[in-house]
Amino acid sequence: MNGFLLFAIANLTLVLFLSPLYISVIKKVKAILQGRHGPSVVQTYRNIFKLLKKESLYSRNSSFITRVTPYVDFTGSLLLSLFVPLIFIPNNSNIFGNIILFSYILMLTKFFIALSGLDAGSTFGGMGSSREMSVSAIIEPTIIMVFAAVAFSFNSVNFFEIIKNSLLSQNHVFLWLLFIPFIIILITESSRIPVDNPETHLELTMIHEAMVLEQSGKNLALIEWSSAIKQLVLIGIIVNIFIPIGVSTTMQIMTLSIAVIMFFIKSLLFVIGIGIIESNVAKLRFFRLSNLFAMSYFLSFITILIEVLL
Amino acid sequence: MTYSQIIFQSSMLLFAVSIIIPLICINAKKSLIRKLSLFTLIIACTGLLFFSFNVLVHETVNFHILLSGFTFNLSIDNLASFFIILISLIGLSVAIYSISYSEHFENEIKRNLLVSLTAFFILSMVFVVASHNLIAFLFFWELMSISSFMLVMFDYDKKETKKAGIFYFVMTQMSTIFLIFAFTLIYNHTNSLDYTPLQGLSAPLASLIFLSLTAGFAIKAGVIPFHKWLPYAHPASPSSISALMSGVMIKVAIYGFLRFLFLLPEQQLWWGILILIAGTVSALLGVIYALKEHDIKRLLAYHSIENIGIILLGVGLYMIFSFYQVRDLAMISIFAALFHTLNHALFKSLLFLSSGSVVYRMNTKNIEEMGGLIKKMPYTALLFLIGAISISALPPFNGFVSELMIFQVFLKFNVLSSPIIKIILILSLSLFALTSTLAAVCFVKAFGIVFLASPRSKEAESAKEVDSSMIIGPAIIAIFCIALGVFSYQIFEVIGQKVGINFSLPNLLILSMIAVFLGGLTYLIMKMVGNNKSRVTETWGCGINSQNGRMEYTASGFSQPVTTIFSSIYKPKLVNKKSFYDPDGVFFKEGEAKISLIKFFEEYLYMPVFRVISKVSSVLYSLQNRVELYPYILISFFAIISLLLYLGVIIR
Repeated sequence: MNGFLLFAIANLTLVLFLSPLYISVIKKVKAILQGRHGPSVVQTYRNIFKLLKKESLYSRNSSFITRVTPYVDFTGSLLLSLFVPLIFIPNNSNIFGNIILFSYILMLTKFFIALSGLDAGSTFGGMGSSREMSVSAIIEPTIIMVFAAVAFSFNSVNFFEIIKNSLLSQNHVFLWLLFIPFIIILITESSRIPVDNPETHLELTMIHEAMVLEQSGKNLALIEWSSAIKQLVLIGIIVNIFIPIGVSTTMQIMTLSIAVIMFFIKSLLFVIGIGIIESNVAKLRFFRLSNLFAMSYFLSFITILIEVLL
Repeated sequence: MTYSQIIFQSSMLLFAVSIIIPLICINAKKSLIRKLSLFTLIIACTGLLFFSFNVLVHETVNFHILLSGFTFNLSIDNLASFFIILISLIGLSVAIYSISYSEHFENEIKRNLLVSLTAFFILSMVFVVASHNLIAFLFFWELMSISSFMLVMFDYDKKETKKAGIFYFVMTQMSTIFLIFAFTLIYNHTNSLDYTPLQGLSAPLASLIFLSLTAGFAIKAGVIPFHKWLPYAHPASPSSISALMSGVMIKVAIYGFLRFLFLLPEQQLWWGILILIAGTVSALLGVIYALKEHDIKRLLAYHSIENIGIILLGVGLYMIFSFYQVRDLAMISIFAALFHTLNHALFKSLLFLSSGSVVYRMNTKNIEEMGGLIKKMPYTALLFLIGAISISALPPFNGFVSELMIFQVFLKFNVLSSPIIKIILILSLSLFALTSTLAAVCFVKAFGIVFLASPRSKEAESAKEVDSSMIIGPAIIAIFCIALGVFSYQIFEVIGQKVGINFSLPNLLILSMIAVFLGGLTYLIMKMVGNNKSRVTETWGCGINSQNGRMEYTASGFSQPVTTIFSSIYKPKLVNKKSFYDPDGVFFKEGEAKISLIKFFEEYLYMPVFRVISKVSSVLYSLQNRVELYPYILISFFAIISLLLYLGVIIR
């Protein structure tokens, strides 16, 4: 229990304070590649702080759904961060770590955000909810297939055990086939190019931004912060499954500090990679997205076949 | 006579009382009679609930009722008592709901009749489950079909109700025909009407029995492709009855299927695969058809098809794993199927009852005319939201837990050796994942369009909250929906100790406590750190200051992306006819353009069968309907000749 408390505190602190940085890092990488200076890497922190100090506006049409959604979303994201060992693997727990529960808590937060999009009665919100729910519906088979492939390879349905097993065994070469599906899931879930464009406010392109258009003040701060957290948690899953080096299994200061540094380096490199990918692709047309997802579904299917049948 | 037998028999007596009272005073202009009857019904259901819970934990209860030469055996074992819990729990809340609901029909006779028939319907379902031989089962099965038929036809003066009623009647009789066929085969083999395990069947005969049982129960349960009666019958019947039919009656078909499945000891692998595939197809197509529906009750009816599919997925997994003798996974799958049966009964009746309240106030079932009801009917909205979260399988509510159990069984299929089975399971797994998220899409649409934003019609603007009985009834179910999800770990810990399996579920109770703690902490910190000022203003409309209901996103707009992605399943048919005055096509004369969705199963499955039957019957009709005597004489002649041949040649 002691170990778990440590794990919980470490993870919560890490995601709360590191996640806004990565949003800025991606922006910075994109700016540099486009030949601009770009905003400072602490800009996202400033944004969140600024929003916290602003008053909240509510639409006349809105109900309690709009008011509770930021809290549901933020709490959900914090819970998600307890599902994934970022620097330290505690002993198995029957509360956290289940991969199916993980994907459904993610779905719960989306469910509420989509409802809040419809709540104000704005056309933008409805459009955003409709698109977001459609995208998350058609990506779901891929998510489950990827998780299933990981579960087969590491013989567990718990992230704690999966990352532990990944740390101990290094012979899952075929698992790298899952790398592309994983990146597509990350891009979809954190609403990035080519699925969604977080920077525009054009009704033609936006998905996530359209849903939260009516949110303001500290509510918007919570929603933006929690999407940053979700992004970091997904990055954590990917880097720790594929490159588990450095994740600590013991509670010693030495290994833990190495783990923190290793995680920082790994995820920072990964985020820079995401920025580079993003600058090199154009946003896909909405109805082309199913092709992208079909491709990632296919790759994860092949991985399962190889892992299971060979 | 034991204590629990006394409870059972007195509940039956109370049922009889609540059926008879409204019938005796059918013309009396007093709502007191109905209240009395429903109150008796509530007590009867509560009694049954305690009785069956007691049986589930402790013992089996047997009765014998002698009726006109046949022995009607009634016996309540664990499986039966589980289903009686389900029936009486839903029956209880429907009875409470009906106290106000039954008052809105136009005359006294209808109001009294609804109360009486509701009690009769619940009682007939209890007896189907309690019956313990083939004759009793068939008798009560027919009683259940007839009483539900009368309830579907309740608004008999409407045209669509007549169509729905006749459709339902034909389908339900088809189901009975298949059952009678299967029962005849069983009787032929065992020479007894009791539920005896069918040892020593030859493989083809066993398969024949299995197939006809499957067909019979699948029709009643609404498994695709036998599902067409559900989307007709549910919208036509009163909402309290839709809740009973969708929540409970189709579960009785699942009960029957399981009951007879356990009697067939030597199962074959392809049976399990058949059930698994039927379940997957029903689940996926059910939810895809639901997405395009704008009739709230029809939407829910399609979701029943989806959830029956999920239950069958569990049963199919059970059959496959028990064929390979993997006891643990087989047991988890059958428990998942049973738990989902209970869960679906709960959240589907909750949804039908709360949407029934909406329809009761709105006088329309079209969700495009609703909107903004969360402010007018806050309690109903909350109840619907709980149902929507449960049916979308979101944690920590009950729908999630049973789907999680099925997922976990799927993820452990490494234990099987056959590669083909593995591939079937993988495909089925990914389609199942798609199903449960599409359900979430559909319920964001249903809840969002019905309850959120601003009203889209005058009725929606003037809607009021319903009476307390129409809130308390569904609220009881809502509490169970939450409790069965949050306490699932503890419940299955107890069950697991009894049957010796580890269900390895996550502890949702502690998870929700942590979530509440984190949420509360966030709220407090935001209260301290953030700016607490807030203001209510207009929705941003690109500078337009007067937003109205017509500018909002519509239900068809909401589901349009999904319908476009799955257009190959919907098969939209585009008709575009134009004619012009001149040959060059400049001066437009007239034309029509319409988009319609092909009713696939109706056009390619039901209609061909119907055409064959009507052709045969028209030939017979023309033979019979002659003025002359010759055809009759000819028919009699052939009949006698063939009888003689049969008696003289074949029998000897």
